[in-house]
Amino acid sequence: MSKGLSNGYIISLKNITKNYGNIRALQGVNLDIRLGEVLALVGDNGAGKSTLIKVLSGAINPDHGEIIVDNNVYGKLNPALAIKLGISTVYQDLGLVDTRNVAANLFLGREPVKFGFWLDKKLMAKKSGQLLKSLNVNILDPNRMVGQLSGGQRQGIAVARAINQGGQVIIFDEPTAAMGVNESRQILDLIKDLGQQGYAVIVVSHNLNHVLEISERICVMKQGNLVADLVTAETNPSEIAHYITGVQGFKNLQEISS
Amino acid sequence: MKKIIDKSQDYFSQILLGITLLLAIILLSSLSPHFFTWGNIRNILDQSALLVIMGVGMTLVICTAGIDLSIGAVVALSGVCMAVAMHSGIPVEIAILIGLTAGTLVGLMNGFIISAFNINPFIVTLGTMSVTRGIALIITAGIPIYGFGAAFSWLGKAFTWWGSGHIGPVNPPMLIGLGIALLGAIILNYTKLGSYALALGGNEEALHRSGIATKNYKVIIYGICGFTAALAGLVVTARLNTAEPLAGYMFELDAIAAVVLGGTDMKGGRGSISGTVIACLLLGVLRNGLTIMSIPSYYQQLAIGLIILIAVITSELRFRNTLSRSNA
Amino acid sequence: MKFKRFYSLLIIMAMLVSVVGCGNGAANNGEPEDLPNQGEITNPKMLEMEEILTAQLQPLPETNTGDKIGVLVITLTNPFWVTLKEAYEAAGRELGIEVEVMAAPTENDTKSQLETLQAMIAKDYKALILSPIEPFNLVPGVLQANEKGTKVVNLGPGIDRQAVADIGGKLDGRIAVDFEEQGKLAAEYIVEKLGKDGGKVAIIEGIPGAGQSEGRTTGAKKVFENAANVELVSIQPANWDRNTAYNIATNLVQAHPDLKGIFSCNDVMALAAADALEAAGQRDGKIIFGVDYINEAAEAIKDGKLDGSIAYSSTVYAKAAILLALKTIQGHEIPEIVHSPLAVVTKENIAEYEGWK
Repeated sequence: MSKGLSNGYIISLKNITKNYGNIRALQGVNLDIRLGEVLALVGDNGAGKSTLIKVLSGAINPDHGEIIVDNNVYGKLNPALAIKLGISTVYQDLGLVDTRNVAANLFLGREPVKFGFWLDKKLMAKKSGQLLKSLNVNILDPNRMVGQLSGGQRQGIAVARAINQGGQVIIFDEPTAAMGVNESRQILDLIKDLGQQGYAVIVVSHNLNHVLEISERICVMKQGNLVADLVTAETNPSEIAHYITGVQGFKNLQEISS
Repeated sequence: MKKIIDKSQDYFSQILLGITLLLAIILLSSLSPHFFTWGNIRNILDQSALLVIMGVGMTLVICTAGIDLSIGAVVALSGVCMAVAMHSGIPVEIAILIGLTAGTLVGLMNGFIISAFNINPFIVTLGTMSVTRGIALIITAGIPIYGFGAAFSWLGKAFTWWGSGHIGPVNPPMLIGLGIALLGAIILNYTKLGSYALALGGNEEALHRSGIATKNYKVIIYGICGFTAALAGLVVTARLNTAEPLAGYMFELDAIAAVVLGGTDMKGGRGSISGTVIACLLLGVLRNGLTIMSIPSYYQQLAIGLIILIAVITSELRFRNTLSRSNA
Repeated sequence: MKFKRFYSLLIIMAMLVSVVGCGNGAANNGEPEDLPNQGEITNPKMLEMEEILTAQLQPLPETNTGDKIGVLVITLTNPFWVTLKEAYEAAGRELGIEVEVMAAPTENDTKSQLETLQAMIAKDYKALILSPIEPFNLVPGVLQANEKGTKVVNLGPGIDRQAVADIGGKLDGRIAVDFEEQGKLAAEYIVEKLGKDGGKVAIIEGIPGAGQSEGRTTGAKKVFENAANVELVSIQPANWDRNTAYNIATNLVQAHPDLKGIFSCNDVMALAAADALEAAGQRDGKIIFGVDYINEAAEAIKDGKLDGSIAYSSTVYAKAAILLALKTIQGHEIPEIVHSPLAVVTKENIAEYEGWK
């Protein structure tokens, strides 16, 4: 699967459409995703970013359109299929079970078993430690309950799980929201690392400063359409703001991001 | 200030309960010479076994933040099914299988309705409780079915033997209880099913998003609860040599009380079989001990209720304390 | 944190101790020297009953032996059993016998009643007097008592003799009220009052399958079915439950506004039926009869709320049970069954039952 499509992309979305009653959340979106690239998805509230990544992660079914993964065409996905195809999502908050320990969360859905049923807890703990270390996530004991950890550590576990799930495409939904400066820094570094390690990374974020720092490519959505596909190195905040709002001359970008 | 949490804290409820159990035994033994005799201990173990059997299934269900109110009625239905089957000439082994199947089906049905239509388990099992009890009453026309010895001499005797026979110094119900408890502990701690049961209670959405077929697992868990209730039905029917349509009256509440007393959280996500087992023994010891002390039933109810409340409050305060410390 | 743990542990222990302490107090009350003799019977009707009963128990056993007798009743949430408990204790004091009365937590809890019995067997009672919730639930306990050499007397609702025999046990004595006779007497009164016009009647049962309920229902049913012009329109189980009986009575008069009489298998349900009919504005012209003659029923009969009840003296009954138990302990020959005499109490004759217990 790591070979990707013939055109060099790992996933292609074709004409994805989704309506909620009269609300047209996605109006025929086309998007190609490449390995080794950090792609940022930006846009105002209600622009369709969340809906689009939910289609990708299998949480919702599109009304029309195709999802092409590894030369196979799908009309819709579901969470289990998406994970199987290598698409893993790091949710802002919903993804972890607070009352379970780090290892149980890391292996949620793909627990190693012996004799066909016996959970190999030793292996889980050992692998968890290795995985977290490789991602520079500082957690001393994989037996700790996730509910007792800090926001940054939790995000780290969510990322580790996405990788552990065998993900090639890792989607981040507002990774730095509700996080302190230090924790945001850790996560941003982690995302950049993932891109360099050859993963395809999609980041949904409101924070343009973060987006500009970590991404190679920025896609702007507005009213259910993909209105711009920009190379980060060749664009500037004012241009992005223009696409997001449709209004020119915004000087202070923080107003948009807040 | 982030220390590694002492892992032994996970066993807090069990340790506290174990100490209470020990103290209760010491106290009761010193107050009455009739308490700590093998005959009486066997009574307590025999009586607690029934609660343990039901408690194991209930623990799994409550770990998922669910509840099963139908188990008392399942006890009656499975007993009645076995009794009818035996009276109609079906061999005992098959009759038992029929009874167990009937109970398991009710459990699976609970799980199916809860997950397929996403309805609150309290409401669903309240409904199936009434349906199940109704079926048991209809099958028997409200009259207890008695006597499995006369119709099939040795097979029937074998059946009642299951309830009150002896294997060396112990009774079959104790062995069934022990077996089910061990099996339950293995399921909860060392299988995906148990791991998911606990995770379901913690955050069902997370499992769903990890691609886990949560609905299937829920159906299985409620099915297990139905099975353990049916097994309890087998024990009750065999012990009394009678299948009553009103058997198992309020058993669900006893089982829930034992599970919660054992440190399993009604909100789901935390639970243990060992806690449930110790709680069942504690309840058994208290009921028996208070009777031996000739304490009127009013006070027994009061005492047992208070102990449950205190245990639950203690466990909740401790849990909050653990979580809040990490946010500090 | 540490403090909290210790604290909660302390509370549990304190509670256990206090509860056990309570119990000791209660047990001490049972000792004969602590209390004046309250077992003396003065009411002439009761003396009459006592004579009939003791005649069945000749020769009387030796009393004041200080033997310990355990009593297991159905529940202490029903006034009938509470009255009987007091009667047992009073009879114990009068006869110089140590009596302890235990019960199941609720009227339906067959399993707990057996467990209570099993705990009682572990103690050193010479005899046990048992009143089971249903015919089979105490059967395994009877065998255990037999094995320990404790005599077993069955009072009131029957323990199934066949079931006991099947597992190799035996009942040493049986004292009972003739339930069928109770139903028969009540129904006869209703039929007599309805006169030659007759009318529709109904029966409210207890728990179907329970001895008292079945016996009383059968007795009443036979009388109703054999009476000219009387039509038995409904037999409904209310499980001895007040609220259920209330609803059933409401539904009955809804379905049969011309209902003339209701026989309830106990007073609690009869009182509920009277309340229900009063609430529906249909109490007038209808006869409601109960069984047991509990205090509340006596008041209700005086007030005209209830038409009557079937009485037997709990004092005499309990005393006879203890005498019977003593006879079994002392190895006397005893009759297969001892029946308690019955009295029909109605508004007309209730004055004679003043002080009846």
